[in-house]
Amino acid sequence: MNSRRGSHTLVFGMVMLVLLAVPIFAAPWLSLDDPLAMNAGARLARPSLEHPLGTDRFGRDLLTRTLHGGRTTLLSCGLALGSALAVGMLLGALAGMFHGSWFDIVLMRIIDVLLAFPFMVFAMVIAALFGTSLFHLLLAVVILWWVNFARLTRSIVLNTRKSTSVDAAFVLGISPLRILLKELLPQAFGPVLVLATFELGHLILAIAALSFLGLGSQPPSPEWGSMLADGRAHFMTTPHVLLGPALFIVLTVLAFNCIGEGLRDRIDPYEKHRI
Amino acid sequence: MGRRLLLTFLQTLMTVFAASIVLFALIRLAPGDPAKLLIGRTMEIALDERTYAKMLGEMRTEMGLTGSWFSQYLSWAGSLLRMDLGTSFYTQRAVAAEIGERLPATFLLAGTALLIQVGIGLLIGMLSALHAGTLLDTLVRLGCVLLASVPGFVIGLLLLLALAVKLELYAIGSEAGLSRLWLPALTLGLLGAPQMIRVVRANLLSELGQVYVQSALSRGLGTRRVVGHAMRNVLLSTITLIGLSLTASISGAVVIESIFAWPGLGEYALNGILHKDYPALQGYALVTVLSVVGIHLTVEALYVWLDPRITRRKKEAAHE
Amino acid sequence: MNRKKLLLPLLFIFVMILWGCSGGGQAASENAAGNRAEAAQADNSAPNSGEAPGTDEKAPQELVIADQEIAAALDPVQPLTSSYLIAIGAGETLFKADPEGKIRPVLADSAEAIDANTWEISLNPEAKFWSGKKVDAEAVVASLERSRELDKQVVPYIQDLTFSAVNASTLQVETARENMDVPLNLSSYQTLIHNAEAAYDSVDTMDLSGMYKVTAFEPQKRMELAVNENYRGTKPAIARVVHEQISDEQTRVLSVLSGASHIAHKLPVSAIEQLQAEDTVTLATTPASNTQTVYLNLDQPKFQDVRVRQALSWGIDRQELILQAAEGQSFPVTTWLSSNPAFAEARSAVYAQYDPEQAGRLLDEAGWVPDGSGIRMKNGEPLTLSLMTWGGDRALGETLQYQWAQLGIQAEIQHGDYSLIETARETGKWDAFIEAWSTFGEPHTLLTGQYSPEGGGNYGGFDDARANELLAQLEGASDEASRHALALEANTYIAEQAPVISLYPRPQVTAVSSTLEGFVDHFRPFENLVNEHLKFVSP
Repeated sequence: MNSRRGSHTLVFGMVMLVLLAVPIFAAPWLSLDDPLAMNAGARLARPSLEHPLGTDRFGRDLLTRTLHGGRTTLLSCGLALGSALAVGMLLGALAGMFHGSWFDIVLMRIIDVLLAFPFMVFAMVIAALFGTSLFHLLLAVVILWWVNFARLTRSIVLNTRKSTSVDAAFVLGISPLRILLKELLPQAFGPVLVLATFELGHLILAIAALSFLGLGSQPPSPEWGSMLADGRAHFMTTPHVLLGPALFIVLTVLAFNCIGEGLRDRIDPYEKHRI
Repeated sequence: MGRRLLLTFLQTLMTVFAASIVLFALIRLAPGDPAKLLIGRTMEIALDERTYAKMLGEMRTEMGLTGSWFSQYLSWAGSLLRMDLGTSFYTQRAVAAEIGERLPATFLLAGTALLIQVGIGLLIGMLSALHAGTLLDTLVRLGCVLLASVPGFVIGLLLLLALAVKLELYAIGSEAGLSRLWLPALTLGLLGAPQMIRVVRANLLSELGQVYVQSALSRGLGTRRVVGHAMRNVLLSTITLIGLSLTASISGAVVIESIFAWPGLGEYALNGILHKDYPALQGYALVTVLSVVGIHLTVEALYVWLDPRITRRKKEAAHE
Repeated sequence: MNRKKLLLPLLFIFVMILWGCSGGGQAASENAAGNRAEAAQADNSAPNSGEAPGTDEKAPQELVIADQEIAAALDPVQPLTSSYLIAIGAGETLFKADPEGKIRPVLADSAEAIDANTWEISLNPEAKFWSGKKVDAEAVVASLERSRELDKQVVPYIQDLTFSAVNASTLQVETARENMDVPLNLSSYQTLIHNAEAAYDSVDTMDLSGMYKVTAFEPQKRMELAVNENYRGTKPAIARVVHEQISDEQTRVLSVLSGASHIAHKLPVSAIEQLQAEDTVTLATTPASNTQTVYLNLDQPKFQDVRVRQALSWGIDRQELILQAAEGQSFPVTTWLSSNPAFAEARSAVYAQYDPEQAGRLLDEAGWVPDGSGIRMKNGEPLTLSLMTWGGDRALGETLQYQWAQLGIQAEIQHGDYSLIETARETGKWDAFIEAWSTFGEPHTLLTGQYSPEGGGNYGGFDDARANELLAQLEGASDEASRHALALEANTYIAEQAPVISLYPRPQVTAVSSTLEGFVDHFRPFENLVNEHLKFVSP
């Protein structure tokens, strides 16, 4: 029952993600308007055949901007999270492999310190000190977000290391690096993937919130969070300006959450790892 | 038990110390000269060069920007220990006093939101678990996934538009009064609810699957009493999440505070960013770090005190 | 399982909330008490009307002003505090600019230039501080000297002035430079006259002279005021004023729309469209006397060619710019000084209309010729321009970028904090940025600040022999008419040289509830929010 529901959720999430991702990544090749082209005559136009999601205060086509904005959002979040994941897995695996060594101890203390900084607070401090830009936000993501992956990888590697096959490998004189790569890390891929899927959803929401506060992506390149911040002023008279980016954020995060749920039910049905 | 707590406490102190170094270093790494920024902002018409240079020199001494990094850190850390967070560039008031004025509002909001979140979480989570597999359960699960996918500020804006502007049930203002509390608290509570529901549901389901519950049921004890008993254990297992939610509410309520003009810490920090007010931001970051660490420590202590068994289990799960 | 232990988490939460409640609640109840006491004292007829504005049947007697920021302290020498105190009627200066830009006496009675270096100012004999102490020459000198000592912001206005009391009602001002406009300098909000002997750490001891007295104050949250019963002039019709801080601009919009406040100040231009659709508020959108200006870095080789700079100015459709970036609430200004009401005649003195052909011709002549894709190139390099913007100028930058792109210029926008612009200026690595300096003040001070080689606002490094000569003549001019003519000539000449590109005065958007009558739109709204004629009417 569990696994069947898991499959449904997984398939649903995948299909939704594909439906969203195809137009977003194909946007430059679709014959759409220029996302930057202004038209003072068509400001805040309501949805029509010409502009399916209407236009913004500069008369720019909102569908085009939402799709182009999606590229920025998805690519930057994916890249930042990917970097955090790579760093986290590497450090976590090493710490798990050499459990109790000075490296492990120092790493765990560094993690403790980083855990004391909530992401929003850290991102705000970075934005205030070094300037508001999407790049600085993503930097903050990489600096803080690897911690979760490191902790998960470390605990899985540690668990697996205790199993007999690894001990046997040690006895046979196989190099620790080889054991790590061949035996230990593959065990972590599943749970880390599940975690990454959920975290990507969280990250998109967090970046949107920071952009909404004006601390993220800067004009004129479209990005979902800053499009929402721009549209907020026209929310009451022309609510459609929020429709595109809001809907895309919700659907994208929903897709990732569904995929995460589905994957978890498959890979880790007993929620052993408390992802 | 006491020794373990003491150890954790010492570790926490180390963490705070390291965090203060991180903050200090970040501010020194930032581009731009704080003394220049401070003077530049207030001058509408530039002075002649000599007056300016003199003013800059005075300002640097006043702000403790002279001497080596090490001595600057020592004097800064020393003033921190005396609860002196410096003077705001922008308002020229003590940052500690300004934060002190805003802390109650933030705690009030976070606490109320937490109550709402726990209330919703317990109620819906229990219903969902008791009716596991039914349509109700599926709907709850769907609702949770959906709610967790909507940005908080979108929910906040919609509620504000509907309740304050259309229905006029909510007065927009700047005071931290009880009449203005419910809407931001509700928004924050709703945002945290899905997580709470899931944890309660999952834990209650696993409790109900335990041998003692099954045997109690087979011995003919009433479902209500058995569930009640199981709920106590569930409540215990939500302490970690409650700690996390509190942290999130204190640090992450920036957007909600900004939308509802709630005069808490988040609003203070946003103004700090706007005005490049380094001491204000530094103070804000330090206070949040302290609350995060304090909440962690409290959660830890609660576990140790309430149930050493659980502590061991949690520890193993987290650190193995 | 022990029952007592289980209660602990709940107890913990409960204690947290109690703590929060007690703090917030205490402040709130103190306020309420203050409110009621004040209501009883100031307005016996409607003691409860202030508690829930908008819900009462009778017209409310409490005016609520939602502002981006209110005072952080009570002491007028603290940064910006004096401007807030003046804006809500608590503080006064010796002189003040009226909505037409004329300088009128407030605490002063009249002012007279005795010779090129001396002014005599006679004071209003009726003027008193809240404590009853007379605002005499001694008190005025003490106030200005206290500001000079403690407020760095006041320095530019009084650094060349020496004050002395001739007798109780006459003040003498010696000026270091000749022909200075002393009343103009003493109309700046930083010169607020306060009782220098009073303590400014509580509302009970502070001592100003305005028509409203501060009765309660929470820094950067809320200031409450009530009518000063001993005020010398017309007493205001509205008994109480609340100045409250709502930092988020959209929340301020919602606040005035929902009736929670009567005046919402510093609203974003993007809210205009939404506010115009509502009949419960009216809009005041007087453009301030400042000029949104693109500053160009004249050290960059591409901007050393005057034709390129002129082309940038010809190629701007200022009408469309105002529509897109200021919702149509301003007017084009092609010369820098002309956003000042006194120099309105020079508004379209140079780049009278949008002329992309002329811009194209100038760029062609300068050697920047379009390639196949329309991008202008010279020696294999494209014509690029990186424009830095900050604050509310995001839409302005985006529109400029688009308009210049139509000319074949690859413009890019960097929107960020002001500190980025400052850092870029220090390193010299910048093309252009937008800033809006005030154009209200002495023309010579303003123009030298912008265009003389050592001017603090001459960011681009403009140094032109003819301009310097005109500025020197302006400094020496002894009568008002020749000063005005010379200022105009210098202003037009500089606009032709285009070291900067003037766009339009930045509009100040204030929404006023339609239940409120008598709000006066002023080009310096940051010090003119209330006046004695404001009153409530039934809509």
